[in-house]
Amino acid sequence: MVITDPSQPDNPIVFCNEAFQKLTGYDQNEVLGRNCRFLQGPGTDRCSIDKIREAISRGESIAIELLNYRKDGSTFWNALYLSPVRNDDNSIQFFFASQLDVTNHIVAKDRAIAQREEIENEVAKRTGQLEAALEAKTLLLHEVDHRVKNNLTMIGSLLRLQSRTIGDPEITAKLEAMMERIDALATVHRTLYQSDDVTKFDVSAFAVTLAQDVVGSSGRSNILLATDLEPILIPAGHASSLGLVLNEILTNAIKHGLREGRAGILKLSGGSTANGAEIRIDDDGIGFSDEPSKGLGRMLVERLTKQTGATVEWSNLDPGTCVTIRLNDWN
Amino acid sequence: MERPKPPLSVLIVEDEPLLAMDVEMMVEDAGHRVMAEAASLYDVEALDPAQSPDIAFVDMQLARNTTGLQVCSLIQERWSNTIIIFVTANPKKIPDDFSGAHGVIPKPFSRHGFMNALRYLQESVCTPPPITALPGSFVPSEHLAATW
Ligand SMILES: Cc1cc2nc3c(=O)[nH]c(=O)nc-3n(C[C@H](O)[C@H](O)[C@H](O)COP(=O)(O)O)c2cc1C
Repeated sequence: MVITDPSQPDNPIVFCNEAFQKLTGYDQNEVLGRNCRFLQGPGTDRCSIDKIREAISRGESIAIELLNYRKDGSTFWNALYLSPVRNDDNSIQFFFASQLDVTNHIVAKDRAIAQREEIENEVAKRTGQLEAALEAKTLLLHEVDHRVKNNLTMIGSLLRLQSRTIGDPEITAKLEAMMERIDALATVHRTLYQSDDVTKFDVSAFAVTLAQDVVGSSGRSNILLATDLEPILIPAGHASSLGLVLNEILTNAIKHGLREGRAGILKLSGGSTANGAEIRIDDDGIGFSDEPSKGLGRMLVERLTKQTGATVEWSNLDPGTCVTIRLNDWN
Repeated sequence: MERPKPPLSVLIVEDEPLLAMDVEMMVEDAGHRVMAEAASLYDVEALDPAQSPDIAFVDMQLARNTTGLQVCSLIQERWSNTIIIFVTANPKKIPDDFSGAHGVIPKPFSRHGFMNALRYLQESVCTPPPITALPGSFVPSEHLAATW
């Protein structure tokens, strides 16, 4: 600690203790008669010095940490507490100050601040990188989606154009069936990418759209479409397979069950069940014969349902056909 | 106003020749007439202003760095009665107000989907309001019902 005398010019030190001499490296006789500012150096914060000067001129006490220099030029952080000592008439007789070396404390604090800043910078940097990567991925996804759609559109166009040039009605019919499958896949893709969540696929919404498409374009105003379906969400990975299965069943109902322009009703119903979900497709057409069909359609239905863990059951109604697709616990 | 009768006159604005040909044939299958095909805004500008199409199918990304939105405003300027339908793989690029256009057929479309949309549009143009149910392949804007 030091005591200074404000009544003398430049408020010189009139007393200093052992601890002060040890802390600063100066002898008592080297400091007596000098203003304390000799402890300051180029690294001392000017603002802190201003604050001390103002406190002294107002006759107030102040506690402040500032960088000081020892006699040997080394630095230390000084926790300075400075206070006026007043006499009976309340005028300031002396200033008293205690100095405490808080270098370790300050360095620790600085290090903590520096580390935090470093971490914050790192976090900001990584966040920026991730955001950029995400943006790139999103752009890429849109681009891929766009190209898939354009390619599907082109494939559809190519098949449609080709089918016009074929004279043989049997081949034309096969090509048309193929076109319908491509169309079904296109509808799957569109349904998927128009939804908010591209990982889930609502088979019910898809089935309705597809049925409308199939019935509508058959040009058969005598087929009535009745739908009563709750939303059924399945993983997007199964969307194409189930989409194709539904397409086979629906086109079969119209081309076979309601063949040769028969009037009829096509009914879609279903929703969640205890252990999965169920979709029923009923028509009141001619029903099916028991002999197993060798067509590609039936084979697609069998293979694709097996792949998605679903089952398909065909039963004869009187009149008509009922097809039940059971989706078992796909989670 | 006197409503047009089928066959309707259709303008196809599409820079992919295969798709243009495909759409043209479907339009003709449905009993309508393709008045012209255009691959860019400039092709549309070059058309005879006196010949107003009943329906225009407009792709968003067009040749020579032009867009469906530009074509859309040109059509509105020239032929105020034309029903404008965007046909695009990128429906999200269409502004909320459709820039005055009447709807969109998202790509990829199926023959089914396109034919159904076409029937719905024919009824919208000739005998509104349409009696056919709104097909899943077509998303109308509010401007379509405003013409009924
Ligand atoms: C009692 C007393 C003790 C002081 N002790 C210190 C000190 O340890 N270190 C320091 O940098 N300044 C100390 N000062 C502050 C300086 O002496 C001086 O008041 C400060 O630099 C502001 O004045 P200036 O702008 O004239 O330099 C002390 C002041 C007083 C009155």
